[in-house]
Amino acid sequence: MQVRTRTWFGFVVLASVLFLAASRVALLDPLENAALSVAAPIESGLRSATRPVADFINNITDINRLSNENVSLREENERLTAENALLTEAEQELRDLQGFLELRGIREGDSFVQADVFGTGPSNTLQVIAINRGSRDGIAENMLVLSPQGSVIGTISRVLADAAWVTLVTDQTSAISALIQESRAQGVVAGSADGTLDMEFVEETADVKEGDLVLTSGLGGDHPPGELIGRVIEVERAPQQLFQEVRVQPLADLTRLETVLVLSSFMPQDQATP
Amino acid sequence: MNYAIGVFAVLVAVISQVAIMPAFSVFGVQPNLVIVLLVAWMAARGRQEALVLIPIAGFTQGLLDSQPLGLAMLALAPLTLMTDFRELRLVDSEILPAIALTMAATVVYESTIMVTLVLTGESVTWLASVTNVLVPAAMANALLLIPVYWLIRISSLDLRQRPAFG
Repeated sequence: MQVRTRTWFGFVVLASVLFLAASRVALLDPLENAALSVAAPIESGLRSATRPVADFINNITDINRLSNENVSLREENERLTAENALLTEAEQELRDLQGFLELRGIREGDSFVQADVFGTGPSNTLQVIAINRGSRDGIAENMLVLSPQGSVIGTISRVLADAAWVTLVTDQTSAISALIQESRAQGVVAGSADGTLDMEFVEETADVKEGDLVLTSGLGGDHPPGELIGRVIEVERAPQQLFQEVRVQPLADLTRLETVLVLSSFMPQDQATP
Repeated sequence: MNYAIGVFAVLVAVISQVAIMPAFSVFGVQPNLVIVLLVAWMAARGRQEALVLIPIAGFTQGLLDSQPLGLAMLALAPLTLMTDFRELRLVDSEILPAIALTMAATVVYESTIMVTLVLTGESVTWLASVTNVLVPAAMANALLLIPVYWLIRISSLDLRQRPAFG
């Protein structure tokens, strides 16, 4: 190894450490904010321009998966239609549905900040997206982020003045207290390295089945209760295990997010002002 | 081709990485255009230019990603040591060592991010990360290297006469 290369390596590492130290005390946040503000419209334009090409390529490579998904969606649609008809007929079930709506709130008391997604994390290790709203718009760390349809997609993990980063629920560092709507079984919805979502610590005896809805439980005060996270797609029970393995599918397509809603009216317990 | 073009290419790669690449997944992961560009540049243009472009790429990526500024530069720093490997010319080819270097650089880059997560108190599932992230990402980047390398190579007038495999 040449001395010159080693010297240059040392210089790059030293510069990295200095930048990291400066970043830790938010010294360079204005610079990052300015860079993101300049890059955001360019990134948005590029995303929009290449979306059809990406869809075309992905559809070709995913044709088998899409075909299977189409079949399962048809089946699910049929099942849901039948379920919906039953719900309409049964007064008790209708009351349950109204209770669910009340649990989620009609959202009169909630306030949201709408934001556009303009970027994604460059590393495969981190499932994060960038949005074009920041602390100037009232966004703070740990706020819950929803899709425009109202399901949970992640939490705010870093805030700059005019931009913020959202750690998606599928990220391996994400963990949200959750419950199964039907059986009220509690657990923790956690992301994983391969970008899938699992509900952990669900007791072996809990009645969990495919199609059940998974909501935030509000336990711990980090997130508001009753926010829809996803749907159970697979349940595995092993005789010797204390907990079931519950696989959850987010309701929103996290790979195609363009607009999100930041729930700004709920502050996590440890951040809320006394 | 000079440093200005290299810096411009790095800027385009960094912006494309955060804006476009997530939409194009290979083996279930997104290729890292920045790593691929740096290694391809090193293979086609030599160590001198690559050494300058590596910290610039790290700094620019740090400005646009979710991590603290400096982390991306730190994760790309080992690439500077890998430039020596290219100069050894162990095999009579430029692209084959470049493929190996791309895979190694990918593993080092993603591992640095994971180690940082661990150091900041997050939990990382190492085995799943290796099988679901590191290996597929290394393969995806190796695949992407081939067209990027050729693009840089045919753009470099002074290298047109040199065969890649001999």
